[in-house]
This record gives sequence, C-alpha cells and structure tokens, in this order.
Amino acid sequence: MPDLDTPTTVQTPSAAAVKPVPYRGGGFAPRPSRLVAPIFFVLLFSLWEAGSRFGWISPIVLPAPSEAFQAFMDLVNSGQLVLHLEASLMRLALGWVGGTVLGLAVGLAAGLFTLARGGIVPFVAAFFPIPKIALLPVFIIWFGIGEESKVATILFGTFFPTVIAVYGGVDNVDRGLIRMGQSFNLGWWSIVRKIILPGALPALLSGFRISASIAIILLVAAEMIGAEYGIGAYILLAGNLMAMDQLVAGVAILSLLGLSVSWLIGRAEKIFLRWRA
Amino acid sequence: MDLKLDGISHAYDATRVLNNIDFTIKAGQIICIIGPSGCGKSTLLRFIGGLERPTEGQVLQIGDPPAESLNPLTYIFQDFALLPWRTVRGNISLVLEDHGIRGTEADTIINDVLARTKLSDFGAALPKQLSGGMKQRVAIARALAVKPACLLMDEPLSALDSQTRELLMDDLVDLWLKEKYTACYVTHNLNEAVRLGHRVVVLSRRPGQVRDIVDIDIPLEDRLKHPALLQEKQDYLWNLMREEARAADLELLDA
Amino acid sequence: MLKFNLGAMTRRSLFGALAGAVLASGFAGAAQADDKITIGALRFTSHAPSFIAYEKGYFKEEGLDVELKFFQAAQPVAVAIASGDIDFGVTAMTGGFFSLADKGAVKVIGGMMAEKQGFPGNVILASNAAYDAGLTTPADLKGKSWAMTQQGSSFHYMAGLIAEKNGFTTADMQLKALQKVGAMIGALKSGQVDAMAIVPHIAAGLVKGGAAKEIGRVQNLGDYQVTTIFTSTRNTEEKQDMVKRFMRAYSKGIADYLAVMGDQKKDPAATEAMVDLIHKYVYTDRPREKAAPSIKAGAVYLSEGAALNTKDIAAQLAWFQKNNLAPASLTLEKLVDTNFADTTN
Repeated sequence: MPDLDTPTTVQTPSAAAVKPVPYRGGGFAPRPSRLVAPIFFVLLFSLWEAGSRFGWISPIVLPAPSEAFQAFMDLVNSGQLVLHLEASLMRLALGWVGGTVLGLAVGLAAGLFTLARGGIVPFVAAFFPIPKIALLPVFIIWFGIGEESKVATILFGTFFPTVIAVYGGVDNVDRGLIRMGQSFNLGWWSIVRKIILPGALPALLSGFRISASIAIILLVAAEMIGAEYGIGAYILLAGNLMAMDQLVAGVAILSLLGLSVSWLIGRAEKIFLRWRA
Repeated sequence: MDLKLDGISHAYDATRVLNNIDFTIKAGQIICIIGPSGCGKSTLLRFIGGLERPTEGQVLQIGDPPAESLNPLTYIFQDFALLPWRTVRGNISLVLEDHGIRGTEADTIINDVLARTKLSDFGAALPKQLSGGMKQRVAIARALAVKPACLLMDEPLSALDSQTRELLMDDLVDLWLKEKYTACYVTHNLNEAVRLGHRVVVLSRRPGQVRDIVDIDIPLEDRLKHPALLQEKQDYLWNLMREEARAADLELLDA
Repeated sequence: MLKFNLGAMTRRSLFGALAGAVLASGFAGAAQADDKITIGALRFTSHAPSFIAYEKGYFKEEGLDVELKFFQAAQPVAVAIASGDIDFGVTAMTGGFFSLADKGAVKVIGGMMAEKQGFPGNVILASNAAYDAGLTTPADLKGKSWAMTQQGSSFHYMAGLIAEKNGFTTADMQLKALQKVGAMIGALKSGQVDAMAIVPHIAAGLVKGGAAKEIGRVQNLGDYQVTTIFTSTRNTEEKQDMVKRFMRAYSKGIADYLAVMGDQKKDPAATEAMVDLIHKYVYTDRPREKAAPSIKAGAVYLSEGAALNTKDIAAQLAWFQKNNLAPASLTLEKLVDTNFADTTN
C-alpha cells in the first residue's frame, strides 16, 4: 500500500514550511488625489483639441476647446460677460435666498408641528417633482415676463428641496439634546434656536448644496422667458444660432458657477461644522 | 426639599411598565434605583423630573427648593447630552442664558463649577476633544451651575470604561462630602449602588415594583475601607435581583 | 465670432463631388432601384406639398421611395439633415440654419412659403391694451415690446422687416424671446407684450375672439421668402439626379396645392378632397369638421415651381449678419444651390 510506503509525507512541525500568511486586505478605499484630476483633464482636452484639428470630430458635432475658449474670451473682451453674469447672479441670488428663507420657515414648521407636517409633507411630495419648465406659461401669466417670473422659477425650484432638507434635519436632531434642554427649563424658542437649528445645520448645508445646484440648473429655464442678458439666455441664443463654440463656453461658465458654489458651501461646512467629530 | 413618589404606575399602550411605586427621596441623601434591564428605572426617573407623566400616581415636592436654585430638578444623562457645537463654557452658559444670567455673572458661575469639577483648563474645548469621563464632568458642572435641589442621574457612568468609572465615582463622593447634594441615581451596576447610595431601591422586572429598599449605613467616605461589608451588601442585592435579571433577559424586547 | 476649421469639410466635399460625378455617369444607362429618401416634415398646412406628393405617388413616379419623419420644430430638421439622418426639409431662414449652412452642412435648393398679396400670410397683432393706447399700425411699433420665440427666429426677422420699412431698427423695440408660440400668445393676450406676428389661422382666431387686434400684414412690407426647401450639401454634390427628381415631384405637389387651395371657391369638391388629404397629417387630434377651417385659413402662398427669391434670401442673410445672428463668413453661394429650382428676381 502506498500509504505504508510513504511515512515521510506525515509532516512534523519542525519540517513545516515557514511562510507569511497570505495578505487579503486592501482595496475598496479610493483616496483623493490632487494629481489625477488635472492630468485627466489635460489629457481629455488635448484629445478633444487634436480630434477637432485633425477633423476626426466634425465642427457640427463639437467645437474645438480652443474655439470655445475663444468664444469665452470674446465674451470677456466685449464686456458682455459682466452683463450676463450680473443678470444671472442677481436672479440666482434673489431666487435662491427667497426659496431658502421660505423653505426654512415651512420646513421648520413641518419639523416642529404635527398640523403643519400633515399639511406640508404631502404637498411637497406632490409639487417637488413637477418640472418647473412645465409651469413656465403659468408663471408668465402670474408673474409677467419681467424679472419676477425668472426669480420665481428659481425660487420654486429651491423651495421644495429646502423644505425636505430642513424637516429631515429637524427630525434627525438628537432627541436626547432636546430633552436635556427641556430638563433645564429652556424656553421653546431657545430650544429651537440653540438646539434644533444648529443640530439640523449639517442637513441644512447639504440641502443648500442641492438647492444651489438646482438653482443653476433652472437658470437656463428661467431665462427662457424674455431675458436679454444672463448666462442661460446666452446659452439659449447660442443653441438657436447653432453656435456650438458659444454653447460650450456658456455651459462651461455654468459649470464654473457650480464649482464655485460647491466650494463656498464646502468652506461654510468647514467653518460652521468644525464641531463635528 | 424632599421628593415623595406616591403610588406611581405606568403603562405604554397595553404594556404595564411600573406598578405602584412608593418611596421618598430625602434631602441630602443619594438614593440609588437598581433593577434588571427594562424594568422602567429610567422611565421612573423621567417622572421624578417631570419630563414624562405617569398614568397613575404622582411625584410630590415636600417643602420648597432653596431660593437660589435655578433648576431644582436637574438631570445628568447617560450620554452626557452636551451640545457638540458649543465649547465647554458654552454648554454651561446655555443653561444660564434662559435665566438672564450673562456676562461677568455667568463667568463667575462657570469658573466656579469648572473649578469644582477640575475642568478649569478645558473651558474652550469642544466636546469632540474630550474623553468620555471629561464629558460627564462637564455635564456635572453644567448641572451644578443651576444649583439643583436634587440631581437626577440616569446611569451617568454606564457609557464609560471601568477605570474612568472608578475615578468619577470618587469625584461624586468627594463632591457629596463637600456639598451634601440630594440625588436620585439610576443604575444597573450594583457596585455603583453600594458605593454611592445611602439607600438602594430594588425594582423587580417588568412591570417594575419595589422589591426591597436597602439602607447602607456606612458613611460614603469610609466605604472603601470596608470592602467586606460592601461585598456583603452587594451580594445581598445580587441575590434579590438574580432571578429577576435572568427572567428579564429571556423576555422579548417588544413583548 | 464663428470661426470653424473647415479643412476637413472642404476635403470631404471635394471628394464627394468627384464621387458624385462618377456615380451619376455610372447610373445613366442602368435601370434604377427606387432611391430611399427621408423627408423631415412638420404637421403644418404649409407643409402640404410633402403630403400631396406622397399621397398622390409623385415621389414614386420619380423613383423615390419616401419616408416622412415628423418633427416638432424646424430647427431639429436642419440638425437632422446636417447629421445625415434625413434628406430634405423645409425651414424658415433662422440664425441656427445660417450657422449650419456656414459649416457646409446644408444648402437651400428651392423656395416654399412666401408672403404674397391676396393670399393668407403672417398677421401683425397688437394687444388690446396697446391698441387702445394708440398702437394701430406697424409704424407705431417703435419703442414697443415685441414677442418672438427666439433671437434669430423668423419672428425676430419680421420685427426687423417692420422696423426697416418704417425707418427705425429693432434696437428701438423691446424684443422678448419667449421660446414658444404658446407663450407668445399668452403674453399678448395678457398685455405683457404689445405686439407680435403670427400665422394667419391663429391670428384669425385671436382677433375673432377679441383677444388681440390686427394692425397689419407682413405681406404689405414687401417681398419675403418665409420658408425654403433645403437638403444636405452632400446630396447637392453627390446625388444631384436624386435631388432633381425630388424637386420635380415636390413642384407637382406645390402646383396641386396652389391650384386647389389658392382658390378654394373654384372647385369646392376638390378643396374638400384636399382638406381630407391634409387632415391625414395636420390637426390629426381634431375631428375633421373642426380641423377644416384651420386648414383652409392656413393655406398660405407657396412659391410656384419651388422658385427661390434669391434677392430676398440675400437681403435676409445681410440683415442677420448685420445683427450678429449669422456668421459673417457665410456667402449666398455657400447658402444656396441654384441648380435645382428657378430663381425669381
């Protein structure tokens, strides 16, 4: 029998091979890198530019990035950029601030009062998904074709996500802290101001991130109605005229606007939420 | 000021949680409430401080609290309940602001309670920078700032590791020796009960009833010198609770 | 403003021309299978010749196997032709169309709708409030607000026509781009704009309903080639024969349309028959008796033989370029191929 013939196969501890245990950890933890993004962008833009120059990409399909940049510089040099930005930023600021203030008030009411919640939550669920563009004709009748309808479009767009963020944030405030406030006989308004609002701040700020992005998305829709100046109006005109270089330049400006807003909110989070562990 | 619990019973929906609880918290005494988990200890404490209302019975205040007491019935919570966005000083200031105490008057009080809880150097720290033991000392400082007539402590040491717990127990004893505060101390830890309690109220499993009230006559400052006596009291309490704890452990949480 | 690298396009065009010549000679004697072509159409009465030529088999007679593709607006038709998805379309001269022409993608090959005295045409409307305040002729439009869909649209150009005719410019008007005809009508009805121009059957409804006042007609301002027939530059170079056959068939459609709809009282039976034919494609969501009046009222003039008013096209191009709405590098030669239809003027 082979078993009997091969007693040496029974290994003694001293004869055992010594090797490190196999490593099975690692992965699943992507780290942010400062280098990858610039390299990726430079590569993408070089390819794009080359594609346009060598005719692989038809100018009807996409303009070269250099052409888009030229269109942007034309905008800067003609002084039009300031006019467009001024008009758009004004609408964004008024609409977003208005929507946020109203959203805060209504969201807080929904977060604090049973009656308000019963009325507001289904209302928000019903109206939030309505595309504001679909309401444009109604807005024209209600608010006219001046600044009001443009601001209203952005205001409506930012109001609903703010309400949801606020009452969600209020719901998530540690009940223990509220009970603590009550146990020390803090007044109702003190509890709201000193415990609930700061406690809801993280949710508020991420809500702002979303509502600000929605405001920028709605800028083009808002400026569909009788706008002479504005980034959205500029993009619309570029689209009408099939001026792809201007279109790309305009979209890039919106993109930069989005990045700036995101950076600002990031700063705000760093400053106001430094207490977070 | 004494507090008297008068025939307290409570039910959540159809589940009876507490059944006819009677005892008195005498001024200057620490009363410990022990019982198996789920017996309604914490609920009882919320009744005592007026955060919840029992279905039957009432908690009576006998005599008036001292005039200087801003918040006669003051809690210390298991999870500290510090506002994470306020500094140590800010957390203490929070409970003074609503009494109109600000500026130098508030600073005096805050400095005083920080000194009493050995936290003078940490006034500007945020809660996230503090260890669990320090957080609980901040909570105690905050409670002292409103000059309570009775401290209501809900498992204040349960969230801490055992070394920190020992140190903080020493602190509570020292503080009592200096100030002779009144306290109602809820715990499931028998060692804490025999170290801190002048009187230990033992509750049965749900629905909680008073199984026994045990007086411990050894002065607080001498208790560590009599380990045998303490162990005897602890064993006695454990014998009372053993069967209750085992039965409670087998119950479904929501049953 | 618009600078494009046209190297690739020119090379391709050159190659295309050569290939086209070879193909044309190759096909001369051989029996042909039907050419498959796609026409981009809008569900408007002014697109009726497409439907007539299709229904009456004029395309088949020319050996064309036609598929009709329907669009919601003219601009996407131009884009679809530029991308090669469809072959022929009808559009007004707009900024977007000029831009595509400048990129060498599309070419005008014939005329379609034109403003002509005695035919229904675009109507200039004033809001009731503005009318009451004294806006009663197009000359009064100086300083007034004007609704249009978009900058560079035909509505924009009509404002320009009115302004030039009356000695001012569009800079003297407040132009309101409202994107949609529906929004324009809403703004006019509610008095948020003073005036606008609109196709005859919609104008008739508004005036009849008391929602607005007619203050003039675009046809009284002079020649205006409103829409043109166009195809891809590649078709004009590589498939000249096919384009010619298409234009022959299409002209027959136009002729039928003019004969009947141009004088609807002459032969009521023929008119009703043509309304039936058009109703298969236009206002399909309405019952015939409700659609018929709109179809009849919308029977605008279409250029006989698809003749193209090149002089007016040149004038339009100049106006668009002057107002920075068309690329400066675009020339009439690049925009129009006159090999496929007569030209007038």
